[in-house]
Amino acid sequence: MKRSYVGVLILAAILMMNIVFTQLVVHQYYYENYGVTLLYAGLNILLFPVALFVYKNEKNKGGSKGYEK
Amino acid sequence: MSDRNNKIPFDEDNYTHNINRNNERMLDRRGFMKTLAGAAGVFAVSTLPWGAVAAKELMGLGDKEYPHQKIADLKDVKVGDSVKFHFPSENDSAILIRLSENKYVAYQNACTHLRCPVYWVKDEQEMICPCHHGKFDASTGAPTAGPPRRPLPGIEVEVKDEAIYAVRVKRYEA
Repeated sequence: MKRSYVGVLILAAILMMNIVFTQLVVHQYYYENYGVTLLYAGLNILLFPVALFVYKNEKNKGGSKGYEK
Repeated sequence: MSDRNNKIPFDEDNYTHNINRNNERMLDRRGFMKTLAGAAGVFAVSTLPWGAVAAKELMGLGDKEYPHQKIADLKDVKVGDSVKFHFPSENDSAILIRLSENKYVAYQNACTHLRCPVYWVKDEQEMICPCHHGKFDASTGAPTAGPPRRPLPGIEVEVKDEAIYAVRVKRYEA
């Protein structure tokens, strides 16, 4: 069985960035840096379409049968 | 016919057909990636309210201005005197202190410990809460002694036409 873990790794990295950005959003909000809060919230929202794009591209990679690719 | 091998052949001690093969691909690679993408969506949605309140603060909607309320005439308040009033609603008691000729400070005078009314002691130049002897610095509202840990919320005042008006409540610092 052949497997492609690239998509899994990229998506895991995206989720890590999501966690970091969410934390930064909350902290910067309480530090009253509202511009920076908006920036991180925007990045966090942008990560979702990126994750969807990666998922759609990677979901059929690395099947055990040749025609699945 | 495809289900042929998944049947228990006879009601005896079942040693050979005891593995349930349904849902065996529940946590495959694709399903895991789908979960990760869904989690990214959850995070995106969860930051929306933070962005919304931050945008609200940036546009200045959080800094609400109340109708100006006259506290007292200038000639009635001598240096070192204080005046009690209510702002912004009639249930929010507040105190105005004239610290010097041109310096007026006003605070909502519910003590930040247990909301007893704080009053101005002219002789000691301090604001004192009688319940637990909390003390506040009159020029900043910061607590200086006793149980309270947070400053009193300040009220912005404006001097206009020989009278003192309350304009808005400053942000409550937690």
